[in-house]
Amino acid sequence: MAFFILRRFGVMILTALCLTFVVFFLTNLAPNLEKLAKTQGNARMSDAEVVSWLDRNGYGGPLIMRYGEWLGVVPGWVRLDAPTGQWRGRCLGPGDTPETAPRFCGLLQGDLGHSTVSDDEVSNIIGGRLALTGVLMFWAFAVIVPSALLVGVLAGMREGSRTDRVLSTFSIGTTATPEYVSGVIFIVLLASSQTGISPLLVQWGWLDGGTLFLGSARSAMDGANFWNFTLPVMTIAFYGMGYIARMTRASMAEVMTAQYIRTARLKGVSFRNIVLKHALRNALIAPFTVIMLQFPWLLTGVVIVETLFNYNGFGWTLVQAASNNDIELLLACSVVAVFVVLVTQLISDIGYVYLNPRIRIS
Amino acid sequence: MTNLSGGTRTTHPVAEMYAREYKAGQMSRREFMVRATALGVSAAAAYTMIGLKPAMAQRVTPPMGGKLRIQMQILALKDPRTYDWSQLGNVSRGLLEYLIEYNRDGSFSGILLDSWEANADATQYTLRVRPGVKWNNGDDFTAEDVAANFVGWCDTTVEGNSMAARMGGLVDSNTGQAREGGVVVVDPLTVQINLPAPDITLVPGIADYPSAIQHRDLIGTNPLDHGIGTGAYKIADHQVGISCRLERNTAHSYWGNAYLDEITFVDLGTDPAAWFAGAEAGEFDMTYETVGEFVDLFSAVGWTQSDVTTGATVVVRPNQLNAPYDNVEVRRAMLEAVDLSVVLELGMNGQGTVGENHHVCPIHPEYAALPPMVVDKAAANARLAAAGHADHNFTLISLDDGLGRFTCDAIAAQMRDAGMTVTREVLPGSTFWNDWLNYPFSATEWNHRELGVQILNLAYRSGVAWNETGFSNAEFDRLLDEANGIQDADARRVVMARLQQIMQEEAVTFIPFWRSLFRHYREGVLNADMHPKFEINVHHLGLAS
Repeated sequence: MAFFILRRFGVMILTALCLTFVVFFLTNLAPNLEKLAKTQGNARMSDAEVVSWLDRNGYGGPLIMRYGEWLGVVPGWVRLDAPTGQWRGRCLGPGDTPETAPRFCGLLQGDLGHSTVSDDEVSNIIGGRLALTGVLMFWAFAVIVPSALLVGVLAGMREGSRTDRVLSTFSIGTTATPEYVSGVIFIVLLASSQTGISPLLVQWGWLDGGTLFLGSARSAMDGANFWNFTLPVMTIAFYGMGYIARMTRASMAEVMTAQYIRTARLKGVSFRNIVLKHALRNALIAPFTVIMLQFPWLLTGVVIVETLFNYNGFGWTLVQAASNNDIELLLACSVVAVFVVLVTQLISDIGYVYLNPRIRIS
Repeated sequence: MTNLSGGTRTTHPVAEMYAREYKAGQMSRREFMVRATALGVSAAAAYTMIGLKPAMAQRVTPPMGGKLRIQMQILALKDPRTYDWSQLGNVSRGLLEYLIEYNRDGSFSGILLDSWEANADATQYTLRVRPGVKWNNGDDFTAEDVAANFVGWCDTTVEGNSMAARMGGLVDSNTGQAREGGVVVVDPLTVQINLPAPDITLVPGIADYPSAIQHRDLIGTNPLDHGIGTGAYKIADHQVGISCRLERNTAHSYWGNAYLDEITFVDLGTDPAAWFAGAEAGEFDMTYETVGEFVDLFSAVGWTQSDVTTGATVVVRPNQLNAPYDNVEVRRAMLEAVDLSVVLELGMNGQGTVGENHHVCPIHPEYAALPPMVVDKAAANARLAAAGHADHNFTLISLDDGLGRFTCDAIAAQMRDAGMTVTREVLPGSTFWNDWLNYPFSATEWNHRELGVQILNLAYRSGVAWNETGFSNAEFDRLLDEANGIQDADARRVVMARLQQIMQEEAVTFIPFWRSLFRHYREGVLNADMHPKFEINVHHLGLAS
């Protein structure tokens, strides 16, 4: 087991290395660097000025060396700025000289670098944003898991029945509706004082003005409540739920045809007991893996949902970083994404062992 | 506002001439206010001169206290001289105040200046500093601070310092710094500005958003780093792209009145649909600006509408440094193909007045009426063919939402109607602004300026920082210099007519319309009316109890 986990971590580090290098390569393509120079410096810089700006700010060296600097295996660049007579460098704060500052400052030293768009340290930014996304993910899962399992089990216990057909149609419908569609539909239906059901409710006197739910989750960052957080959570949950429900249904339907269920039936065990005591545990093995695999999908989902509902979490930060070519913020986001994906996979593999004794790792 | 009570002061002779012109119907009230107050006549006195009650009474005195949230883009703060967005000024205005404020009725009133005067030919300005103003670090605000800021504004070596262009003749073109003897500290409360040539744009220039007054020792620094200012507020929290919170600085005794305890600027991105969703969700109480179809939507949900007519527009310009736009015939063909009234209707929902492809607006004092430009699609296409660019593919770049997009769509459609090939490219806000000056053919929103000559100085003079058209014309520059020195608007109009003509003849840019600007706020928000230059002075704002 320990060897397995170790190997998994090895894979994780290798994947993170490859991914960050790809991101680093793409963000450091010449046109992207030029864009960065013009945002940070002056929009009217000539090509020669762009080159000199890039050189002065440490973007001039060979790509692989700069990637090494970011990793912290190559010493950070330093140079004496001729016009001001001050030392500048990757690891240097204002007024520092190469003697007083550390030689290396990269990922290995715990330094994630500087975000150009926010004008702040990446480490100051990313923590709070991740926490916000964590809250959103938690509530999304709190909705997805029970409802998807319930729908899946109900649909799968009597394959082909009317309940099965209705629930299956529903879950196929939700999986087929991406977040950017369902989110907009939710806002129009539930969060507008002009259209959808809110004006009706106001007319009937059930609602005291305003809207049923809020179409912006900004206030949820200070304190999430039912009113401001329902729509973003539902938008994510709606999409994630159908898929898990379908998997659960398939797994449940398969278990229900197994020999031991037939035996239990013949012994005269009640249907309720068959489902709860005999079928359920075996039927949940496959959905468990699927639930864990949903994490990476949810990460892409939060990018859309957070932008749509103006919730300044990880997904929103990723969009900002990408659209502004904020290299170091984008790299930090990639590292986090790799970490989240691989850790959930690891949990899924380990959990699988406990759910299914027939499977042995290593 | 001691300027309000200054009605007994003897008035400026030129201002009296203006008053006569106003009474003779040669000048609108707005023009009169701009020009009279620019000469140092107080707003109240100016109103009295033309026999009106001061309109300043429009501003009510709110009760103390309250928290207000304003929807506005939050950008990284920087050295105020290099501000390129009015939003930056709005954020720092609670901390860094201005010498003079431009009011929404077109008049100027003193903030850190008690009063100011110009001599008869506008070559010498005397600025009287408001006594009793303190910095929040305990220092007195004196004439030294004012002088240091003027010197800082004149420094052309600072990248992106747009104040240098506003200072005009005060900058010595040999050294790129303030002229010797240009800025004189007469006594601790008086500064004298000596200009080599008459310049009527100095007062509007120092009322504009990059002219925030910094402490004399902190010129060129980012206010976020030091937090020292004369304003009643401090920046408690500033997160780019998210929000900015101003709190009343209780440790500082502010010279004037400030009503709110806290102001939060909330950034909901660049999509107006998101602003509207935010408004419905109660995320803020006041918009920075309401655009397009959302003007009606905000009114429909019961928000109070405030509008102002301005010289703001969307400049859809070719850049002459890029082929084939260096060919004047190509540019003429483009302008000839487009009916601007259609662009106003489609791009602006008709919320404005039709432009004339030159950047001087009818509400500017020196605007000269020119004969209408001819729209002839067939002739336009023939002209393009004659120039040898019949098969040129025009790529028109704009923002992915808002006015620029719809305006460009309308222009592109009309050019296509004339048989030209046009490709539209839309870029997100974060990408678009990186290179706005250099796109071969793109659209930029320009804000209102007080005088017609100002925007020509900023954007169309050869080689200035914000010249996005690449326009360079010796006759234009010479006439502009001349116009800058003519104080009398009627006399200036003669030169202006020729400047406007040159812009049309050289087909410098599309100026499709003049915008009306809108803002919405919840009932109970006080003194939040739309400002022609998008200014929000947080010291005036309040909430009805």
